[in-house]
Amino acid sequence: MKIFIIRKIVLLLPLLFGITLITFSLTKALPGDPVYSMVGERTNPEIIAKIRKEIGADKGIVRQYIGYVSLLAQGEMGRSYYTQRKVLDDIMIKFPNTLKLALGAMLIAVPFGILLGFLSALKKNSVIDALISSTSIVGLSIPVFWSGLILMFFLSLKARLLPPSGTGGLRYLILPSVTLALPALATLVRVTRVSVLDVIDLPFVKTARAKGIRDIRVRTVHIMKNALIPIVTVIGLDFGSYLSGAVLTETIFGWDGIGRFTMEGILKRDYPVIMGCIIISTLVFVLMNLLVDIIYHFIDPRVRIHGTAR
Amino acid sequence: MLIPEILVRAFLKWVVVVTALSLSVALSFHACSTGARRNGYVYYRLTANPTTLDPALIVDVTGGFISAKIFNGLVKMDENLNVAPDIAEKWDISEAGTMYTFRLRKHVYFSNNREVTSHDFKYSFERILTAESRSPNTWVLEKIFGARRFMAGKTKDLAGIETTDRYTLKIRLEKPFSPFLNLLTMTAAYVVPEEEVTKWGDDFSSHPVGTGPFVLKEWKHNNQVVLERNDNYYNGEPRTKGIVYRIIPEDLTAVTEFELGNLDVLTIPAYEYSRYKNSSKWRNLISSMRGLNIYYLGFNCSRPPFNDINFRKAVSYAIDREKILSTFYENRGRLAEGPVPDMLRKWPPPSKQVYDPERAKGIIESHGLKNTVIQFYVTSDQEVVDIAEIIQSYLKKAGLQVRIKQLEWSGYKSAINNGEADMFWISWWADYPDPENFLFPLFHSSNHGAPGNRSRYTNKIVDGLIEAGQTAVDPSARDSYYMAGERIIASESPWVFFWHKTDFTVRQPYVKNYNIYPIYSMDTGLEVSF
Repeated sequence: MKIFIIRKIVLLLPLLFGITLITFSLTKALPGDPVYSMVGERTNPEIIAKIRKEIGADKGIVRQYIGYVSLLAQGEMGRSYYTQRKVLDDIMIKFPNTLKLALGAMLIAVPFGILLGFLSALKKNSVIDALISSTSIVGLSIPVFWSGLILMFFLSLKARLLPPSGTGGLRYLILPSVTLALPALATLVRVTRVSVLDVIDLPFVKTARAKGIRDIRVRTVHIMKNALIPIVTVIGLDFGSYLSGAVLTETIFGWDGIGRFTMEGILKRDYPVIMGCIIISTLVFVLMNLLVDIIYHFIDPRVRIHGTAR
Repeated sequence: MLIPEILVRAFLKWVVVVTALSLSVALSFHACSTGARRNGYVYYRLTANPTTLDPALIVDVTGGFISAKIFNGLVKMDENLNVAPDIAEKWDISEAGTMYTFRLRKHVYFSNNREVTSHDFKYSFERILTAESRSPNTWVLEKIFGARRFMAGKTKDLAGIETTDRYTLKIRLEKPFSPFLNLLTMTAAYVVPEEEVTKWGDDFSSHPVGTGPFVLKEWKHNNQVVLERNDNYYNGEPRTKGIVYRIIPEDLTAVTEFELGNLDVLTIPAYEYSRYKNSSKWRNLISSMRGLNIYYLGFNCSRPPFNDINFRKAVSYAIDREKILSTFYENRGRLAEGPVPDMLRKWPPPSKQVYDPERAKGIIESHGLKNTVIQFYVTSDQEVVDIAEIIQSYLKKAGLQVRIKQLEWSGYKSAINNGEADMFWISWWADYPDPENFLFPLFHSSNHGAPGNRSRYTNKIVDGLIEAGQTAVDPSARDSYYMAGERIIASESPWVFFWHKTDFTVRQPYVKNYNIYPIYSMDTGLEVSF
């Protein structure tokens, strides 16, 4: 296990290097010049040239990239072109907010998703199954900007239960978390249903029943545990992507997270912000996957985390 | 049994865990909270986080709007758009129009309790012009004698600024420049304390210290900016305890916040205008402001097909601006008759650009321009895209093929600055209320591209008239130069002049003495009360 984790972490380095290279090249290939956004109107061409020089935009792309990587090697991510604030400091402020939102969404999506999906599978082809399946399709199909605004309309404007926007404690967290949770919940329902149906008729279930094990235990321990692998994968992927920021949800609810920060950076061509956010997101995503790999091992001993399956 | 008991138990366990985790998360992040409403504070909305609050670096309206409450300059704009005393209680201008002598008020203090002197203004102005400050606003002060040499690092002292005593500041210009006092109302001319700038360095942008009626209490980036009343303000006391600017990017969210009473004033989003205007609850709480701006359809005059005046005129004849203004735009503006806003024009307007589709067709056909393809660049803002499609349909009727190219703001700005577009839609908002601000940057041939003349319009006579207006000391002579310049410009149709937009705000019934100003720097936040 230790070797596996160390190997994964070591593999992170070339991955991050590749990510910085691709992101750097792509951002530079985008149309638009950050200097024009930085200076506003009426600025002298000399000042524009001066600023371009100061941010290193007058150098060749290779030299710019080497400069950025050496900055990273010193544990720095540079300063935003616009606010002059350190990108890493801003990420440290915004990441906990994103973590809070992702956690909130998953805490809603995971139990309800698994419970409903399991129920749907157990009651296959019943009215309950049809109801849950069709609702989950609706949940998957509704875009968050719509569900978010509808939730805001009813729960904030009409019922006056929750604040419509802002970053803060539990009251501020509920609406964006529920909004973000809906598609994840729907996905989990569907994945759980299919996974449970996949294992429900396998011989080991029949064996368990033949051994006289109580039906409840068969369903929860034998079936559920064996159906967990794809479910954990989906949870890991969703959680990882939410930790990279949920741009629409964060924008609608004025939530100060990584997603909004990244988006603003992209729109303004604030390269240090774009790079910083993408590196952190990649890191988080990879670590999430590592965590999922470790969880696999505990769920299913057949999955040998040092590579080979038994 | 519908749900196995063990599942129910597991679920209940999960609920307990969720609640405990949520509570701990909520408590642990309390410091980041938007928080409960502060009593006695007035709540406004910002659509974006201000990029900086350092006057040397501010280029966005958001930053300018807030800094007007934190800082002061020598002079300010009064409600009639005239230059009025601020920290300078009076001033003299030499007959030649090159020497300005300002007499400063005594007992004006920075919020760190140090008195403002003439040396602070000299420092602040020199700071703008030094390379280290990276200020994009050097153009505001570059008319000062010796500014260019100072900027180039050839002198250590800005020769055109002299402090004869603690309260007297003399500014000498290279040559007369009639809008100079107007320029001094801008953010770049605000006074800052050297010791605070030195102390904070680059972070002064997040820790601004000024002399204004409010001080920055808290800035949670992308969340809210809180200003607190400065009890030592030299010119009266604000009637509120402070101002909270909540940063809410999404219009619908802001409308919800306003209707819940979490915002006190809201700039009405375009699509909500009719609803508020027709609402008996809100109708009488709407304020309007005739904006100092111009919305226009620009042509790239430097290359075919728009280098041909006839083609430009044909396009302008083909579009019914009045119809678009009254229908799509719901009369949220005044029809433009030239580039200079009606509020600043002290002379008769140029002849109107008329809608004459037959004439447009005639010109296009007689010049063999039928089916000419026009690359029309717009931003991805939905209102702009809608206007672009309306224009496209008018030009299609005239026999032209318009290809709309949507870009997000940064890419769009680069494209039109570099002359990639044949035609583009954009607006220009006043930095200061002077006709020069709508002529020199937008039509002088030295300003092609990024400085403002994106139509790449070139006319040496117009250049000469604008320059003559800039240096004219006599106001009536200046107006006559500007009038002549504007007439030539209008007759050559480098743009289709659309409208001067009017902004509307709606306020809560308990908000008193609320005013809406045509320029951000005029709103110091002193008057508004509950």
